[in-house]
Amino acid sequence: MLSIKIGRFAYLAANWAVLIFLLLPIAIIFVFALNPTPYIEFPPVGVSLKWFDKFFASSQFMSALLLSLEVAALTTVAATVLGASAALGIARGNVPGSRAITAIMLSPLMLPAILTGLALFQTYVLMDVGRPLWGLVVGHCLVTVPYVVRTTLAVLHNFDLRLEEAARNLGASPQRTFFEITLPLIKPGVIAGGIFAFIVSFDQFPVSLFLVSPGQETLPITLFNYLKYDLDGTIGAASVVSILLAALVVIGLDRTVGLRSYVKL
Amino acid sequence: MSRAVPNLMGLALLPSALFFALFFFLPIGLMAVMSFLTGNPVVMPNVVATTRHYERILEDPFYFEVMWTTVRIGLWTTAITLLLGYPLAHLMARVKSRSLHALLLMAVLMPMLTGIVVRTFAWMALLSDKGVVNQLLQGLGFAPMQLMYNEFGIVLGLVHIYLPFMILTLTGVIGRIDERLEQAAQNLGASPIRAFVEVTLPLSVPGILAGSLLVFALAISAYVTPILMGGFQIMTLPILIYQQISANFNIGFAAALGMVLLALSLVLVVAYNHILAALSGQRDLQ
Repeated sequence: MLSIKIGRFAYLAANWAVLIFLLLPIAIIFVFALNPTPYIEFPPVGVSLKWFDKFFASSQFMSALLLSLEVAALTTVAATVLGASAALGIARGNVPGSRAITAIMLSPLMLPAILTGLALFQTYVLMDVGRPLWGLVVGHCLVTVPYVVRTTLAVLHNFDLRLEEAARNLGASPQRTFFEITLPLIKPGVIAGGIFAFIVSFDQFPVSLFLVSPGQETLPITLFNYLKYDLDGTIGAASVVSILLAALVVIGLDRTVGLRSYVKL
Repeated sequence: MSRAVPNLMGLALLPSALFFALFFFLPIGLMAVMSFLTGNPVVMPNVVATTRHYERILEDPFYFEVMWTTVRIGLWTTAITLLLGYPLAHLMARVKSRSLHALLLMAVLMPMLTGIVVRTFAWMALLSDKGVVNQLLQGLGFAPMQLMYNEFGIVLGLVHIYLPFMILTLTGVIGRIDERLEQAAQNLGASPIRAFVEVTLPLSVPGILAGSLLVFALAISAYVTPILMGGFQIMTLPILIYQQISANFNIGFAAALGMVLLALSLVLVVAYNHILAALSGQRDLQ
């Protein structure tokens, strides 16, 4: 029986170790952001908000943060409309080959995002359009539409078709049935997809890499460029701000539609 | 059922279909074309077809070295992710308490919701020459160690980033294995370890394969972590592709390298989908 106890202990110890491995780096970011010296010293010398001051006072970081929020907002709207209508077409359109169409709509998630960026960049070069803001939003849409398609399809597949039939039988027009039955019922899936789209766009790096114009960069690209030369608390403060923003959005997701049903790979 | 006839709702597919055709399939097609051209046909009048970009990849041992480095980093990342991810996935699939499951899920998702640049920064803060680990080592009287600017640092950073993908894939597959099979083995006298090795582990092989393919595909296309944790010392395929654009502006060669990465990824993705499709097929039969 001793071996069983040792085995049980090893199993739990391994799991604790993995959990610490997953979460410790994130905790370190917070320590880094609140630590007054550029490098973390042991024992710690105190707590300071000066890196946050520096972050919010930096016009470079602020314009990057604003651009990221703007791109994420535009992407969320466009990806939600495109993804939700695609899911409706797949689930209700009676179109042949719906399985293949679904696979195509999800394919940007399966291929390296850096290639999506490269291919779009080359296309913009051939079109001679430079690096416009809409080009960046298009890139972000490609990697966010799949999330909206997936969450909306999940709701559409679990949905009692008799509700729509009942509305039709009671005399509602197809339009009225759509707006008063179908749309309210798929709303949680669409919102969940939109929230995923926002986070994925806000944190997006590989697609943006080729598509941002120099001097007008999103927050992840600015952080990356800063990290190439410098490693101080400002980057910690910037990271904490972006983690908190994503966490706020996720808590919103959990409160509105529940988290568990959308975590599928 | 009769032959499918599209109805009005089918029209809802049109905007996204058009969007994907114009901004996804057309660009990838153009990338394929560009990889066989000597330059940009829009601005240069005398562009001709060529296979020289691919010949260059095949002939110069430097590019072979780059590919091998990329694959080696991918293999290490996959193996370590699997070793670390399996126990936690097993726990998540078997834990009875709903709140504990929710807590574990949050712990796995939290890193996923943190951007890759931010997470790589966290590892730099931990492992750089003046980082937390080396400060601790020196405080304890040891010599500092070179923990990043090498493949070790890259693999560690990548493992952290892709571990949640492995855990979520494995949890799904282990959760589908009937727990009573393992209990039956134990009732028949097998030790818990033997019951695991002979029952649960073989049944979870599809999950292991699917998770490994996914993590490998993600790891070989990573850019941020290899460049920052490698300290610009180590060259991988995505780094080389970006360098061809940013430093050399050699679009044709970048496109050829992109096609190599694309072909490799396609093979992996098709295999991944086959395994998952076979799995859900099994479930449908039950």
